[in-house]
Amino acid sequence: MKSIELIYSMKTNLILLFCISILFSCNVEKEKQQEYLRMVGDIEFDPKLDDPEFKLCYNDSAVFQYFSFSSLETFVGEKEAIDDYFKEKYKPVDINESGWIRIRFIVNCKGETGRFRMIESDEDYKERPFNKKISSQLMALTKSLEGWQGFENKEHPLDYYQYLVFKISNGAIEQILP
Amino acid sequence: MKQLLTFSLFICMFSGAMSQQNCYWFKHNGDMKRYEACLATEKAAGHYQFTKEFQQAFDNAIKIDPTWGYPYRAKSVSYLKSGDFINWKKLMDKAVEYDTLSYLPYRAGCRFQFFRDYKGAIEDLLLLKKVTNNEMGYTPNGQYHLDIVLALCYKATGRSEEAIEVILERFKDDSYDIGIFDYIHLGVLYLEKGNYNNAIELFKKQEKFNDLAENRFYKALAYKALRQKENCLQNLKAAKELYQNNLKIHDPYQEPMDKIYLSTIERELGEK
Repeated sequence: MKSIELIYSMKTNLILLFCISILFSCNVEKEKQQEYLRMVGDIEFDPKLDDPEFKLCYNDSAVFQYFSFSSLETFVGEKEAIDDYFKEKYKPVDINESGWIRIRFIVNCKGETGRFRMIESDEDYKERPFNKKISSQLMALTKSLEGWQGFENKEHPLDYYQYLVFKISNGAIEQILP
Repeated sequence: MKQLLTFSLFICMFSGAMSQQNCYWFKHNGDMKRYEACLATEKAAGHYQFTKEFQQAFDNAIKIDPTWGYPYRAKSVSYLKSGDFINWKKLMDKAVEYDTLSYLPYRAGCRFQFFRDYKGAIEDLLLLKKVTNNEMGYTPNGQYHLDIVLALCYKATGRSEEAIEVILERFKDDSYDIGIFDYIHLGVLYLEKGNYNNAIELFKKQEKFNDLAENRFYKALAYKALRQKENCLQNLKAAKELYQNNLKIHDPYQEPMDKIYLSTIERELGEK
């Protein structure tokens, strides 16, 4: 009787092991296949996150990168105005957290901004969230930042991806890039 | 002119480093795995480095030969330019792991230029100094010798004396072609130390070599500190004119160290 139970138990374990290995192999397979959008860093519209009022002037398949438009020189008051804005508005958080935060977004041909996304890392470039008092504050300030220039060429108006990287040192902004 | 040619040469070298590999070289050496991987990278030809097609071609190469540094480096560029420090660093760590000599200079330069990761760049640069017997080479865009980058990282971490030493040591090398902003950076270091006459000397050298708004502006500050009002004003006006004519420190991807802005000059002129 005991040997039948033992065989039954072994069989159950084997089935379980088989199922787990299938599940595991599926996960590994999923990790291996990296999915890409049209371009690295593209941001698709997400109704749960994005302001529906923000519209691209042209279309998603033709959003440029910021460096096509001569860096931050085109911002009203240049990069210095961005530094001054955050210096004035950002309230440092007294916390032992350092690393980088990137906020990437689109600037449309009217100089309006939308589709903001954030990535965060520690000083070793390992992904990890900052205290919300830091990250939410930076996101809100970036959304309110005005001065981006809109562009158009002969054929059509232009939209472009822009980003700001904040180098954070113990809850304070050490540097804003690019 | 000589400097301009040198700069162009470095740009070409950088482009060359990213151009297609000679796959038959691997085949000739009997490295068939790398040869196959190399052929896979050829599918990226004609595709912009940000595109899905470019990334997938290099992913396939990595699948064939995961120990080849080149595809990781090629994939990393678009992450760097889009500010994605997390994925950029993962890819560059792989590239450096499999081919340290080829890719450590690039990682070090980018850590400084794109992310102002002074501590990380110093670590990379000191290791590179060791393994290259002090011949570290240049940043990816050819703007700086990596000794100048090391000096700027020292400056940013409060080690200005060491920064000056490193630059002066580099200048001692007769075969060294002065970088397009070198005199400005060294001049600013002296200016910040209060060594105004040395600073002015360097800004004058920059003026003869590659006159930019920055060297005129900082020269004006040195004259201001020496209470030479007329010289100060004259250089501020020159700085503004140069700036408005686009003769200034510039990089399309990021804001270089010691760069100034029009409002900085105007404030000093009392126009703001």
